[in-house]
Amino acid sequence: MDDRFVQVGIRSIGVPTAKKAKWYEGKPLVSMAVLAVILLGCLFCDLFIPKDPAYMDLYHANTAPNAEFWFGTDTMGRDIFSMIWYGGRISLFIGFFATVISTVIAILFGAVSGLAPKWLDDLLMRLTEVFLSIPNLLLVILLQAILGKANVLSISFVIGITGWTSIAKVVRTEVRQLRNSEYVIAARCMGAGFFRILWKHLTPNFISSIMFMVVMNIRGAIVSESTLSFLGIGLPLEIISWGSMLSLSEKSMLSGAWWIILIPGIFLVVTLLCITNIGNHLRKNVNRRQSNL
Amino acid sequence: MNRKNPYIDYGKKILIFLLSVLILSVVVFYVARLAPGDPLVSYYGDRVEKMSMAERQWAEENLGLNDPIHVQYIRWLQNALKGNFGISFKYKTDVLEVIGGRLVNTLVLGGVGFVLIFVLALGLGILCAWHEEKWLDKLICKVGTIISCIPEFWLSLVLILIFAIHLRWLPSSGAYSIGKATDIPDRILHLILPMTIVVLNHLWYYAYMIRNKLLEEVRAEYVLLAKSKGLDKKSILFRHCLRNIIPSYLSIMAISVPHILGGTYIIETVFSYPGIGTLSYESARYQDYNLLMLLCILSGAVVILCNIISQTINEHIDPRMRESEVIETTEVTEIG
Repeated sequence: MDDRFVQVGIRSIGVPTAKKAKWYEGKPLVSMAVLAVILLGCLFCDLFIPKDPAYMDLYHANTAPNAEFWFGTDTMGRDIFSMIWYGGRISLFIGFFATVISTVIAILFGAVSGLAPKWLDDLLMRLTEVFLSIPNLLLVILLQAILGKANVLSISFVIGITGWTSIAKVVRTEVRQLRNSEYVIAARCMGAGFFRILWKHLTPNFISSIMFMVVMNIRGAIVSESTLSFLGIGLPLEIISWGSMLSLSEKSMLSGAWWIILIPGIFLVVTLLCITNIGNHLRKNVNRRQSNL
Repeated sequence: MNRKNPYIDYGKKILIFLLSVLILSVVVFYVARLAPGDPLVSYYGDRVEKMSMAERQWAEENLGLNDPIHVQYIRWLQNALKGNFGISFKYKTDVLEVIGGRLVNTLVLGGVGFVLIFVLALGLGILCAWHEEKWLDKLICKVGTIISCIPEFWLSLVLILIFAIHLRWLPSSGAYSIGKATDIPDRILHLILPMTIVVLNHLWYYAYMIRNKLLEEVRAEYVLLAKSKGLDKKSILFRHCLRNIIPSYLSIMAISVPHILGGTYIIETVFSYPGIGTLSYESARYQDYNLLMLLCILSGAVVILCNIISQTINEHIDPRMRESEVIETTEVTEIG
């Protein structure tokens, strides 16, 4: 404040200086860090896991956590600590791959439905409703049966093609609002094709509103994989994933081997929690106004 | 604006409903038959492996399995319209009978669960909105986020591990102890764990929704007016804001009926609870076609019906919805 202002009696009213927010402020730092550790650990698990995750050490089956087997061993004598990192790769891969499949289907379906004339749009939406009304679990079982014995790719595919509807609905609504804007019409007049309009003009506009759902879809796909494997209709025991590790839990329940149930589950839940926090951050309405109450 | 005849509107809705169910039945019929697998196994059990070719053929003819799919479908449709849904291959009785016995179990689990979720979510949501951004609100939101991240089957396992195996307080499976099918307290005891999971699994989502809707409402202009007229916080929140969000809550809860009922599928399987969920899981795995068809159509019909109900609630309460988009959909991406 200049001295002269003070002399004539103007005083500073103490306007708080607007501090520039740091890039990391308000971001879910802990979740991002934990998720990064889990991701990197799974990716580079070959470097540090002490045992071969597939090796069945039958002398040490059902061993409680100790100095040699940090997280204990499962009913078939495999080292749980090694399995978690190794299996996490598969679980996370299924999560991402299934989401890629469902997002691509959702964007295409939503864009077609949004750009189509009303009757086609109505028809497509009705079909979605019918599709949604088949219980998801049954649909997955039947599709999996058609595809034959489950492997990593087939299960991602099944989860992917059953999980696109909610994103498709949002895409459709957004596209319907955008389709008559001048730049889309201009692009059309210049002879741009469907995919060019979709990629260049529509996607950049709706991507932010589906981002949250895409992240949540990763979470949903990981949950689906583990549930299916647990029920015995997903990955078989030889393919190690968090789900197939948990499929041993009913046996271990009787022998009181809590570590077989709890430890992989905790890893699963922590991963899901981190993904959820990141997803919620994407959705959060930052500019909430002052309460009138 | 000239109002349309409401009866035409309802007629249109019923027509769409029937058409959707018809398409659904075609889809399920074809998908189920495309799946490789031997439906004879579920009918004859292990004896199938010892059958000669001639016997097999006779059996398939007997069950009508060797016709082209569309012939089978038309025959099924004709019978179904007469109320005859065929017999279950596994249980060898009328499918209606098989389902009837178990429907009650699922309805008790899902129905009571639904009411509990409805009431508790409303309570928790109001509690959070009342204490916005205070420690109680933050605590409830945090706990809710964590619990809603836990896959339901794992939560079931952990609760079984604690309450059934370590503490031995509650039974871990079934709907009643052997020989005590009519013993009500025994049944309630068996319901506690599955019910807890059903409620815990869905509660937070709806509570969080109520909270957010209330917080949006609290920022409306009329609240400022009511406040300046001297109304206290309690009556503004309950008599003005809550009233405004109840319609959309009702319509969302209508959509969520199938979601909550469907969520019981996995829980029933984990607890070997004799309900629709375990039944449909079995029927899909062992190609019990007739049973599978009826179950799919039943649940599909519930879903479509609930959608229509929720749309109707919206249209009646909020005229703006009439021509515009269907209300926001809940995120139903997870299995169940």
